[in-house]
Amino acid sequence: MPALPVEQVDGLIATGASARMPDTVPPRFRPGDRVTVRNINPLSHTRLPRYARGKAGTVEADRGVFCFNDTNAHGLGHKPQHVYGVRFAARDLWGEQAAVRDALYLDLFEDYLEPHGG
Amino acid sequence: MPDTHEDDIALRVRAIESLLIEKGLVQPAALAAIVETYETKIGPHNGAQVVARAWTDPAFKARLLSDATAAIAEMGFSGVQGEDMVVVENTPAVHNMVVCTLCSCYPWPTLGLPPNWYKSAPYRARAVIDPRGVLNEFGVDLPPDKEVRVWDSNAELRYLVLPERPPGTEGMDAAALAALVTRDAMIGTGTVAAGQGAAQ
Amino acid sequence: MNGVHDLGGMHGMGPINPEPQEPMFHEAWERTVFGLFMTTFAGGHFNVDEFRHAIERMDPAHYLQSPYYAHWLHAMESLLVERSALTRQEIDGRMAQLAEAA
Repeated sequence: MPALPVEQVDGLIATGASARMPDTVPPRFRPGDRVTVRNINPLSHTRLPRYARGKAGTVEADRGVFCFNDTNAHGLGHKPQHVYGVRFAARDLWGEQAAVRDALYLDLFEDYLEPHGG
Repeated sequence: MPDTHEDDIALRVRAIESLLIEKGLVQPAALAAIVETYETKIGPHNGAQVVARAWTDPAFKARLLSDATAAIAEMGFSGVQGEDMVVVENTPAVHNMVVCTLCSCYPWPTLGLPPNWYKSAPYRARAVIDPRGVLNEFGVDLPPDKEVRVWDSNAELRYLVLPERPPGTEGMDAAALAALVTRDAMIGTGTVAAGQGAAQ
Repeated sequence: MNGVHDLGGMHGMGPINPEPQEPMFHEAWERTVFGLFMTTFAGGHFNVDEFRHAIERMDPAHYLQSPYYAHWLHAMESLLVERSALTRQEIDGRMAQLAEAA
């Protein structure tokens, strides 16, 4: 592998490497949809925190199509898919101890989600 | 290697650095240039300029909230760990706070490298389950009817909080306002006060 | 992976204790680790997901007790060895050499 040359440092830092991918896959969910987070427990890498598994939330935003971290961590390809900004009521995650108005937001890959009650 | 004692770490790092240079896998000048950039050019003073402009330029603020990556790039801030940005706005009704429970995701181009507490277990554990308790620890006491939104940056979006502009700053220009904006206010563990400053 | 890195919602981790006027790096080796990570990452030795997972594979007690950049060192070293850019023997040998010269 070649070493990063000093001439490329400024460009690298200013450009980075977006995980966003061409928007060629249709979205399964739309803002406003109620969704349930799948209860998965892979031994491999995932960006789905345990505290959200099995919980219900509402899609607030379609963030676009991104490379899927869970496969890309293991040489299993990009598996491009939509990522959704999902809002959870704090009480749906933590119970009565949470303040009634508070909320938590996660960015969730389509593979993590299923339709609520579906 | 795995359980390196701290005493050995400095030696281990020197060994790996010298081997990588010898093998031609790392150019020392590139390594030095990277570190220098983050130590001198990139930091919360960048984010503070974004916030101050949003407070003084309504058209910019609208662009910032609809396409944060492009609006922030207009000000010359872009790149590694800021490739896909979202800006969330604090209002009288809503307070936003950012965490990364799984690792240490943080918007480098606007805030620089994260402080230790942001990357450490206590903050990552509690920010999601007890945000008001965490805010109290930072000296921020919110009224019960204000909604707290916690953003766990678990995927590849990076978050910057647009704090509320403090009262008593009506006559100030963007440069003076930027001097008031703290790093913690842009993470959401602080707020901006008229007499305070400044993002390093 | 249901690892110790998945910290959201855990109790008992103690106070947050922000450090006033915190330096960007606390030790010289942290600065070097940051620079080595950026250069080897840019050199294509691993992707960010492989890097994060390599941190998650740390011994959990060590993960919680070690400074942040020790996580980066662990992940970078693991991946460089797994991909044969370096060997354990080379690292151990160079450490011994450097220790003797000191």
